[in-house]
Amino acid sequence: MPSAATATAPALSVRNLTTTFSTPAGRVAAVDSVSFDVMPGEVLGLVGESGSGKSVTLRSIMRLVHAPGEVTGSAHWQGRDLLTLNERDLRKVRGGEIAMIFQEPMTALNPVLPVGLQIEENLHAHTTLDRAGRDRRARELMDLVGIPEAGRRLHDYPHQFSGGMRQRAMIAISLASNPRLLLADEPTTALDVTIQDQILKLILELKRELGMSVVFVTHDLGVVAATCDRLAVMYAGRIVETGPVSTVFAEPRHAYTRGLLGSVPQSGAERTMLLSIEGTPPSLAAIPPGCAFNPRCSFATDICRTERPALLEIAPTHLVACHHHDRVAAAGSPVAEVAAP
Amino acid sequence: MPLLSYIFRRVLQLIPTFIFILVVVFLLVHLLPGDPASAMLGDRALDADVARIKHDLGLDQPLPIQFLYFARQVASGDLGTSISLKAPVATIIAQRLPVTLLLTVMAALIALLLAVPLAFLAALRRDKVSDATIRGAFQIGLSMPVFYLGLVLLTVFAAVLHWFPVGGYGETFLDHVYHLILPALTLALSLAAVLMRNLRAAIIGVLGAEYVDFARAKGLKARLILFRHVLRNALISTVTLFGLSVGTLLGGAVITETVFAVPGAGRLMIDSIYGRDYPMVQGLTLALAVFVSLTFLLTDIVQAWLDPRVAR
Amino acid sequence: MTLTAAVTPARVRRARLFRLPVTLIAGGIILLISLFLGIFPWLVAPYDPTAFDYNALLGPPSPAHLLGADSFGRDVLSRVIYAYGLDLQIAVFATVPAFIVGSLVGALVGYAGNVVEAVFGRIVDAIITFPFLVLVIAIVAVLGPGLNNMYVAVFILDWVFYARLVSAEVRVQKRLDYADAGRVMGYRPMRIILRHLLPNSISPAIVYLMTDMALAILLGSSLGYLGLGAQPPAAEWGVQIADGKNFMNTAWWIGVFPGIAIVVTGLGFSLLGDGLAELLRTKK
Repeated sequence: MPSAATATAPALSVRNLTTTFSTPAGRVAAVDSVSFDVMPGEVLGLVGESGSGKSVTLRSIMRLVHAPGEVTGSAHWQGRDLLTLNERDLRKVRGGEIAMIFQEPMTALNPVLPVGLQIEENLHAHTTLDRAGRDRRARELMDLVGIPEAGRRLHDYPHQFSGGMRQRAMIAISLASNPRLLLADEPTTALDVTIQDQILKLILELKRELGMSVVFVTHDLGVVAATCDRLAVMYAGRIVETGPVSTVFAEPRHAYTRGLLGSVPQSGAERTMLLSIEGTPPSLAAIPPGCAFNPRCSFATDICRTERPALLEIAPTHLVACHHHDRVAAAGSPVAEVAAP
Repeated sequence: MPLLSYIFRRVLQLIPTFIFILVVVFLLVHLLPGDPASAMLGDRALDADVARIKHDLGLDQPLPIQFLYFARQVASGDLGTSISLKAPVATIIAQRLPVTLLLTVMAALIALLLAVPLAFLAALRRDKVSDATIRGAFQIGLSMPVFYLGLVLLTVFAAVLHWFPVGGYGETFLDHVYHLILPALTLALSLAAVLMRNLRAAIIGVLGAEYVDFARAKGLKARLILFRHVLRNALISTVTLFGLSVGTLLGGAVITETVFAVPGAGRLMIDSIYGRDYPMVQGLTLALAVFVSLTFLLTDIVQAWLDPRVAR
Repeated sequence: MTLTAAVTPARVRRARLFRLPVTLIAGGIILLISLFLGIFPWLVAPYDPTAFDYNALLGPPSPAHLLGADSFGRDVLSRVIYAYGLDLQIAVFATVPAFIVGSLVGALVGYAGNVVEAVFGRIVDAIITFPFLVLVIAIVAVLGPGLNNMYVAVFILDWVFYARLVSAEVRVQKRLDYADAGRVMGYRPMRIILRHLLPNSISPAIVYLMTDMALAILLGSSLGYLGLGAQPPAAEWGVQIADGKNFMNTAWWIGVFPGIAIVVTGLGFSLLGDGLAELLRTKK
């Protein structure tokens, strides 16, 4: 848990978030006792492989999880628990204070409505601008995200935009009402590398201009290195390590984090071996007892197979869930010095 | 605007369609076995009389020439004379076709009024009792022959309860509508069943779509999401189905008009086919084919309006 | 009725019994009973369907005549039972030939691809949108009333539905690996089509066959009602309803019960079709 020594209060505080689904194999937890904080103005990276529960975490916070999923725990935002908020207040928060962007803009945008209308809806729900005001603001937003010929493009439909432009449009739609927190669910995964770069820069720029915090879900550590201040690593629905990017990259305290770092190809003079992690992530219905990572961990001992490690603060703002984090740290980090974003 | 140019293109496409219809109708009648001339005069006709009638009707000319005569005739509004009714075909059609049109339009409206809200209800309460009840009721309605349903409705609501007239058509327009309520209801039920099933599936599909989640993430009201995002997308496939169902609707109209003794074009078609009244059959087929293509045009336009990707 | 509660995941678990869909079992039971009644009507029906009983003209349901008697004094129950044979025969004869021929043609067209398919598609679309009933009536009118002519009329129009379904499926299947494997091994196209593609593309057609049979009963009884299909005094549900149409006020049982038989049998086919679709879907 973050220590009491932290001066500023977190913007978003998630505690013991657990999301379960009933499947033919029984009840499985896609998100298991996840806790983390997002500080005002920071970018938190939520990292993990596919199926680690990162997207479900975001959707659980926004209460977008489809039945028969059940969400327990708390997510405190501006002093209120989002998970127990009534429908009306939740609607005000969604879009107005917290925005979410999705991975694939072609499916996230309604294909039969013009982009301008989709922006205008957001403004209509959360601001008191009149028709003309909304129109003007929509134009401003299109300019802000870098879509040329804003006025004309407002009347266009999603299929008339190219991939990168569509993503920008989605960003314009979700940020229309100046939210304070952006939940970004792998927004660049579906894009070309060159466009990825542009979108990342755009998000960071908007973060600065609007003074937002961002939770950035991704599986790409390169993106994390380039954009995030802190990161939280997820495995099998659990958080295994949290901390500032530079600290965690330099001194990973969890074997999985270390494995992830080792599998990132680096352009550099040295030819270092790519570390690959043996084995595959467990099916959510068959998570091993104790630490979920133990079958694949080279540091595992008996205690790892029986007792689930708690998320402990081993240094201010650096938390890890591992019985042997000292030994992991001693083994060193696979990556060279990481430049601050 | 892409929509307007799409409409324009589709309207232009009507011209070759109409020509095609004209050719098909012409060929259909002229290739049927049975000789119209003999049919007119009966079995005992003398060959000379038959030849004379043939000449009068222009039946001894080569086929392409006959077609040109035919086309010219149609263009001038003359669809020939009915053999059995001994009156101009065009006039009779002008009397009877609007009846069928009114019946069909009323049936379509009732079908939509039934299908759309119930499809929503069934989709939103999916797999619950109300969903199963709605689907079950419609399934039974689908398994019921149109004439049976018509008879039952006629007996119960007209003959026994006297809420509606026992068939017929009435005098004034409102009277027409009143007389056509039961027949339209009969016709509407099977159409509503088909539409509801399709719309329900479409709505369920849309409800699971990413853009609905995105709309919820924007904090929009549920009702707005349902009407603007869900309904529009779900209707797209149903509109196509609606257009394709016009043929079935007309078929049902034939039976309904028979059961309820409505003086429409459907019954007229059956009677003229049976009576070998070729000019009438020809004229009616033409009129109905034109009606069907216009309906297609309408549904295509509605679909393009709903779904901008179509007009690309 | 919140939006949240309404949205459920894609996987729907339908009710199953003995690992078969409930709809399949329900439909199967109804049809088995119908088949039994169709093949062995004399075992169940109390009277001969053409026997007159002058003491019970237009008689209401009674111990002697469980479902009443019609204007000739014939037992309604017996006539309804004997009609099973005829109407089931209609269901089969009106659909199976179209199924066979249509599927074959569809497979060929689907394999031939492109131009052939495009042309074929347009023709099919043109035919499909015509009022089916009207066309059938027109053909029957030309050929003369009677069941055999009805079968011919329906066949002429119905095969296109199967052809369309199968050609669409073949179009998908022929791109799959096993079709390429066949070509690589140098099989003749006909062999690929018949032995490999067709069996894998036939399931939508089989499912549709069930619906089509239900539709055939509706069509057959409609024509029977209009006097263009089965001819009186045959025991056929549509004919029976026509017999009863003038007595709906006074002797409703004549027309109502045959209609119920139509509905139940039609439901049987629809349920079977639904169950089959479900079974085939989960087998993939």
